[in-house]
Amino acid sequence: MATELDYDRSLHGIEHEAGPFEVTESQIQAFSRGIAETNPIYTDAAAAKSQGFQNIVAPPTFCTIMVHRVELPDINLKFGGKPTGGGMHAGQRVQSRAPIMAGDKLTASSHLKDVYPKTGRTGTMVFIVWETTFRNQDGMVVADVQESFIRRG
Amino acid sequence: MLYFEDVELGDEIGPLETEATDAGVLEFCEVWANRTPNRFTDQAIAEQSNLPGPIVPGIMSMGMMARLLTDWAGAESLKDLDVVFRQPVPHHKPITIAATVTDTRQEDGENVVECDIMMTGAEGERYVGGKAIIALPSKP
Amino acid sequence: MYLDMHSHSVSSDDSRATVEQYLKWIQVLRKRGHVIDGIVLTEHRKFDYDKDYSALASQYDVVVLKGSELDTRYGHVLVYGVTEPLTNDIDFSNVAMDTRELLKAARQHGAYAVPAHPGRFGIGLTEYIQQGEIFDDVRIVERLNGGSRKGENERAWELCDDKGYLGVGGSDAHLTSHICVCLTKFEASIKTEHELVDALLSEQFKPVWLEDATNNSTSEGIIK
Repeated sequence: MATELDYDRSLHGIEHEAGPFEVTESQIQAFSRGIAETNPIYTDAAAAKSQGFQNIVAPPTFCTIMVHRVELPDINLKFGGKPTGGGMHAGQRVQSRAPIMAGDKLTASSHLKDVYPKTGRTGTMVFIVWETTFRNQDGMVVADVQESFIRRG
Repeated sequence: MLYFEDVELGDEIGPLETEATDAGVLEFCEVWANRTPNRFTDQAIAEQSNLPGPIVPGIMSMGMMARLLTDWAGAESLKDLDVVFRQPVPHHKPITIAATVTDTRQEDGENVVECDIMMTGAEGERYVGGKAIIALPSKP
Repeated sequence: MYLDMHSHSVSSDDSRATVEQYLKWIQVLRKRGHVIDGIVLTEHRKFDYDKDYSALASQYDVVVLKGSELDTRYGHVLVYGVTEPLTNDIDFSNVAMDTRELLKAARQHGAYAVPAHPGRFGIGLTEYIQQGEIFDDVRIVERLNGGSRKGENERAWELCDDKGYLGVGGSDAHLTSHICVCLTKFEASIKTEHELVDALLSEQFKPVWLEDATNNSTSEGIIK
């Protein structure tokens, strides 16, 4: 079995940008409901303000629903000479740098970090890793997200 | 309030027993703007992806795991959550989320607690596993 | 001597544990009454020549040895006693390398290769043997693997009984608190990778679960 990886390597080092997009109270509340989060600072503006926040606070992994706002190119991945398909989510990392609140206007910037093959219970896979940095309206980095996806030949 | 000095290596956090419902996953997909129907909401589409049924989105599982930690340590304590999605998570099946403190240290002027966190199924299936870093205040 | 024969640090792409965190956790396990002498780091698809864990090993009084876990055509293989001639001969990053060539090359170059989690669904050695493949050079397999799903260790056990293979045990840890859930009990004292290869060649060892790694243990490594 050939194992050479063939993809658009020129994508390394290129940043793909999106935004600004506003984080709304209803989005935060819907996300909180989705993960059954009931802490009032994530669901109620008055409760958040009583804790010293300017507005309702997004739970720490909220920005994971915003990563897809960045339009990422197809890396045209071939493995062993064959095109790849699929796209299951393999892993995720969120580093929270500062609170995200309703009313924030976020921008996102993503780049291709790594592409590599490995084998497992379901056969040979190729992992594609993207990193995204979110900044708020003050230019402050609020979160860094790393996502891994699996594709197969 | 939980203080850094209250935490020891080996401490167990949780467990949080929960499950993901069809309605909950649908709502999550809507706020995520992931167009439905998809493999998270639809049986036939899931089967086309070689899945036995619709599954819980990885980032929804991740959000549920974060909840265990913010319930334990406080809302703004979770600094880093890093997980691997090991097996598809089904709807309407019992899920257990639990964590174990594996390190405590001071780093860049902060009190840091590190823990392993796992989401498992009723038969011990390891659905999602990873590591979290939490910052805690010192006792006054 | 109790050694965890299969573990991954942050040097492997899918592990989240540092070596120091593993060694700190071993202190917790020792306080709970377990006997643990060392670990072998078997990083995915590479060998870390440049990593030196001797200071940590000394600080925490744990033997830390280095090995590799390689992806091959017929499943994953643990390699102990990795040498430069071996890494010159075999491309460790090739996920489709010939398993039989690896087993032979390891012996030729002073190392020892052990099929990992042979009962694992989809990728264990058992799968390929059931398809008719023959592996004349296999003598030892990983009979107990801490990352196995229900039924997988049982399949490995049956394979060993059927083929007369000897078995080692390892945690396959990718997270700190999973280190040493399975171990190998050796009769010999082992401090170096070379001594580990000699101990494997001596065939005086057995796989055990952590709960059986105590001072008073007489367990035979019963399957759970």
